[in-house]
Amino acid sequence: MKFTRRSFLAASSAAAVIAAPLGARAANLPRNMRMVIGSKSTGGDTYQTSAMVADALSKKLGINIKVDAVGASDAFKTLARDKRGTTIMIFHDQSYLGYLYGVTGYDNIFADYAIGPTVAINPGNAYLVPASSPYKTMDDILKAAADGTRIRVAIQPGGVSEIGFSAMKNAAKVRAPGSEDNIVAVNTGSQSDKNQAMWDNLADVINGSIQANEQFTQLDSSDPKAMRFVWLTARPETLEQAPEAGMGGTDRAKMLSFASPETSVTLDGSKDFTFDKEFFFLFNKDMDPEISKAIDTTLGEIYASGEIEERQKAAFFIPNYLPQDQALKHLEDKRDTYAKVIDDISSKS
Amino acid sequence: MFEIITPLFLSLIVGGTLVGIIFGAIPGMTATMAVAVCLPLTYSLGLDNGLALLLGLYVGGISGGLVPAILLGIPGTPSSITTTFDGYPMAKRGEGEKALKIGVVASLAGGLISLLVLDLFAPTLADFAIEFSYVEKFLIIFFALTVMAALSSDMLLGVFSGVLGIFVSLIGVYDISKGGNGEMRLVPPGLGYWLENGFSLLPVLIGLFGLAAILEQAEIGVPKGHSTKDIKVGAHSRFSFNVFRGQSFNLLRSGLIGTFVGILPGVGGSAASIISYTNAKTFSKTPERFGKGEPAGIMASEAGNNGLTGGALVPLLSLGIPGDSTTALLIGAFTLQGIQVGPLFIGNNPGTWDAMIIAMLIANIAMFVLMYFAIRYFALVVTIPKHILFPVILMMCVIGAYTINYGIMFDVWTLLIFGILGWLFTKIRLEVAPFIIGFILGPSAEVYFVKSLESFGTWTIFFTKSWIAIVLWVLIVGSIAGSILMARQKRRMEDHG
Repeated sequence: MKFTRRSFLAASSAAAVIAAPLGARAANLPRNMRMVIGSKSTGGDTYQTSAMVADALSKKLGINIKVDAVGASDAFKTLARDKRGTTIMIFHDQSYLGYLYGVTGYDNIFADYAIGPTVAINPGNAYLVPASSPYKTMDDILKAAADGTRIRVAIQPGGVSEIGFSAMKNAAKVRAPGSEDNIVAVNTGSQSDKNQAMWDNLADVINGSIQANEQFTQLDSSDPKAMRFVWLTARPETLEQAPEAGMGGTDRAKMLSFASPETSVTLDGSKDFTFDKEFFFLFNKDMDPEISKAIDTTLGEIYASGEIEERQKAAFFIPNYLPQDQALKHLEDKRDTYAKVIDDISSKS
Repeated sequence: MFEIITPLFLSLIVGGTLVGIIFGAIPGMTATMAVAVCLPLTYSLGLDNGLALLLGLYVGGISGGLVPAILLGIPGTPSSITTTFDGYPMAKRGEGEKALKIGVVASLAGGLISLLVLDLFAPTLADFAIEFSYVEKFLIIFFALTVMAALSSDMLLGVFSGVLGIFVSLIGVYDISKGGNGEMRLVPPGLGYWLENGFSLLPVLIGLFGLAAILEQAEIGVPKGHSTKDIKVGAHSRFSFNVFRGQSFNLLRSGLIGTFVGILPGVGGSAASIISYTNAKTFSKTPERFGKGEPAGIMASEAGNNGLTGGALVPLLSLGIPGDSTTALLIGAFTLQGIQVGPLFIGNNPGTWDAMIIAMLIANIAMFVLMYFAIRYFALVVTIPKHILFPVILMMCVIGAYTINYGIMFDVWTLLIFGILGWLFTKIRLEVAPFIIGFILGPSAEVYFVKSLESFGTWTIFFTKSWIAIVLWVLIVGSIAGSILMARQKRRMEDHG
């Protein structure tokens, strides 16, 4: 057969048609969507969970969805610009905590964007001490603060890392007013910087995660790198959904011992403070509501089938689909709780 | 151990290395981008095969940067900036093929040295790496910055250019994710929307090196009917391994410097080749030949940046902390497969550890074979008439700048602004090399300097923190003194005609 230019063009066109996604669910749903995320890392939890959701959605809807790790500031700008609905965003609680802490580049997401469904929780947010630390528990830390000892906590200011620190100060204030001044922030950057602050004896407590720090808790206590969990901020109901084997040498039962109610960091003297790092969609406020509705409905079907849940659990995420309307109420309640904690301690470090 | 070497494993490494070389060779595309693009594929490949692909991309991506650095004077990746200093002058005098082969052999040497160090000493070196706090990291960056003086043709203007580069790099928000306070600074009124994150490195780099060179050529003009036949690839540029005679120590030192810099998280890959290059120049018997087409300069730069590849895996596999931006992506591959990376990784996953070492070894060999034998075709780039070549380069630069941050148009404007600035620099005798080194190292220098003072509360900590700090001060003072002596010697030679 002679391969002419015309036959080449015909074959190319046929291939393009076959490769194109077949029939999007909503007539006005774009065939190609861009999912921007609030992180610049393609190795982190935001990218990981977004990639899973984008993969499932694109298969179910028959459209292309590309995940771009542009970072919070550029993601918000891009989302705000695109009213056509071709850009959607996934981020976590940092999106409103950044605004509450007054970080540059963070808008009030509840006023400026449409809140979409929630998709997953990373239950790993943790606080650790060196294995050789005199503080074995959060109770020891709060008692030491009440006794006038200065406790240095390494965090990355302005978000998920700081909210647990704010909660510690709040708990210290509730237990012994004035002792919150003895809990001070050591502002660092990445997890590597926080670990290094501990090894350099610049911090008594560091913010970390089960995923990044668990192996350090398995080292022999004589190893200068060895660490110990003192607090996991996740709700017990969340951790109970984690695999029983947990992660590495820390099983689920052990994880629960570092979380409320066994490890108590009080919110108001009666309830414990808890924090789940939750991932959810953000949409342009002026976007066609049919598009967000199509995404929401499809996600509901995806989660009902159970496949994505298995994939999320295997990667140590807790599946957490809440439809758009419930998600808004849920996240507003969370925001109000944390806004009160932040206001009460006036910690805007 | 060798049962993991299946045809799929081998083809993924070789294919990954080839794709990595292509990414590295296109200005604006980097090893990090290559790994990011292919990361989702690893989910279906399984951990060992997935890592084989990613490590091939990593080694290929780092190595490919030497091609445009030598042939076009545009560093394909930030870590190949110093390769342009001697590679491009060699290409201009018709020794492009020779320069490329020197670069490829040096890359192989650097890669193998770092691999050996990784295999034998990873956990021990990770323990050593945590001895480096903010203070020691600042001093390493400071040491790398002292190279500005050595690389300048006029020391005063060179240092000024470098300081200007640092100043420009600090525009935008002092990023909280790096330990900053999140405040915007040095941004002119009304430009906050665009300059919130400052200028991106790669568009600045491509603008200063690529676009500025095109503008310069446009100013000179291409004579009618003239092609670039004045740059011949042929007998007089023939490569011989004799060029490495007496350079074993340079290769070893540069490979080890690259490995060492890779081991330190947050110091950055560009510092590896910059420090290697400065050392080669400082210890050379003919330092005045550096920057004019000295093969030892290419060897130092390429052995240094490929030395980084094994080094950056040390903290990743021993502490779960990536040594550079590309290895940060490798964590994603482990996480996708449900594997924890941390201090117990090597002991808990001996099979994966072996697979990674073998993959790195094969990737380095594949890189050498693919590049060494393809060089004669790469080198033909210089025979393309400039009126065809330059528009193509310009288009590639614009595409590279636009894609680097996933489609930010301001990055294209950055490319154009810095292209014009680079062209103007030559008019007012400012120097591009010190400027870009200042621009690259400035943000890290700021963070580590401020954090040192915040953490320890005294200036004296820079001198008293540890024995490592004292050693680094000796190197810094030696580097500055060496630069001053070289400048004086150069002036004396010029005075005597």
